[in-house]
Amino acid sequence: MALEGKLVILREQKREDLQKLVDLRNDLETQAWSVSLPPDFTLEMYQKRYEKREFSFERQDGQFTILTKDTGEYAGLVSYTDLHPRFSATIGIIVDKKYWGGGVAYDAQEVLLKFLYEELGLRVVRLWTHSGNPRAVKLAQKSGFKVSLRMREAIWKNGQLLDNLNMDLLREEYYALHPELIDGLPEI
Amino acid sequence: MDGLFESHTIVMRPFEAGYRPALQAYLNHPDLAGRRYIPWGYPELAPLSEHQVEQIIQEWNESKKGFHLAVIQRESSNLIGHIECDWEWDPHCPSISLTIGPPFQHHGYGEQVLQLQLGYLFNYTPAHTVTAWINDWNQDGLAFFSKHGFQNAGRLRRTGIHAGKYTDLVIMDMLRTEWLAGQGGQHGA
Repeated sequence: MALEGKLVILREQKREDLQKLVDLRNDLETQAWSVSLPPDFTLEMYQKRYEKREFSFERQDGQFTILTKDTGEYAGLVSYTDLHPRFSATIGIIVDKKYWGGGVAYDAQEVLLKFLYEELGLRVVRLWTHSGNPRAVKLAQKSGFKVSLRMREAIWKNGQLLDNLNMDLLREEYYALHPELIDGLPEI
Repeated sequence: MDGLFESHTIVMRPFEAGYRPALQAYLNHPDLAGRRYIPWGYPELAPLSEHQVEQIIQEWNESKKGFHLAVIQRESSNLIGHIECDWEWDPHCPSISLTIGPPFQHHGYGEQVLQLQLGYLFNYTPAHTVTAWINDWNQDGLAFFSKHGFQNAGRLRRTGIHAGKYTDLVIMDMLRTEWLAGQGGQHGA
């Protein structure tokens, strides 16, 4: 089954994607970490990291390059980490500013969620963001995520004290929003 | 007498191999099941072997972004618990945990340990807020942190399964300003 949505295709990361990723990490607006890191990443750093990835049946993460379907252009990265098999994972997304507001991020997020619930059988999916990123909050809400945790002033970023937010989407909430899918996994 | 990591009844110090039997004894106590605060990857409920406990001590002693200490009862020199201060991703917002073995609970040790942890973090590190992560079924733990001024920040829904039901992880936090207010506004208390 291809990981394909209405607007995007998610495929494995390739060496040719790395410079784009470096560019996104070197822009504080798209860096997408709660702790700002110096925007001095190099292609060589990411190449080394890329080469360290090894085959394993016990993968706890997945990283996908987002390509637009119409042009095949690189649009960003969507990933999951901290996988607890058959139970939970945490997702993240970075999208090139060129594609902000066009539905690319939402479509990529939906494609990944479908993979996590339909293929991996997760019971909950989470994400971390912060109160200084209303765009990310809105994107998550669009897929049904709710803020479940607000750690007061736990982030210092962009000259401000911000609340660290965790948002989550339970399995039954996801399926309620997707009547076209049937959840065959018995409840606990 | 009162150093950074000691009070009139307890001393906190690094774990040594000799603490293994006492640590194994209270970690395997049924009342502590599911709230042992041991590293990820070890069973939450199943009894721990000697080897597993030795590995846990080793992992604790190798922490680089935070530390674990043994809680020693000053009077008897017995191991009665363990604590963690963790600033894994940002020293701005470390997390803490503390565990007192069931035979030693309700003697005020937990309160002394907590005050030492908070005193260290707020007086000697850049911590702006400190969090504690507690299972929602651990009513004693929730009441303990609430009693000592922590606020309920929310929860990570569905972090595990306990007694046939999904459980949540409740996160409680305390800001530096709140801690200072509790100290009468004085640093170095």
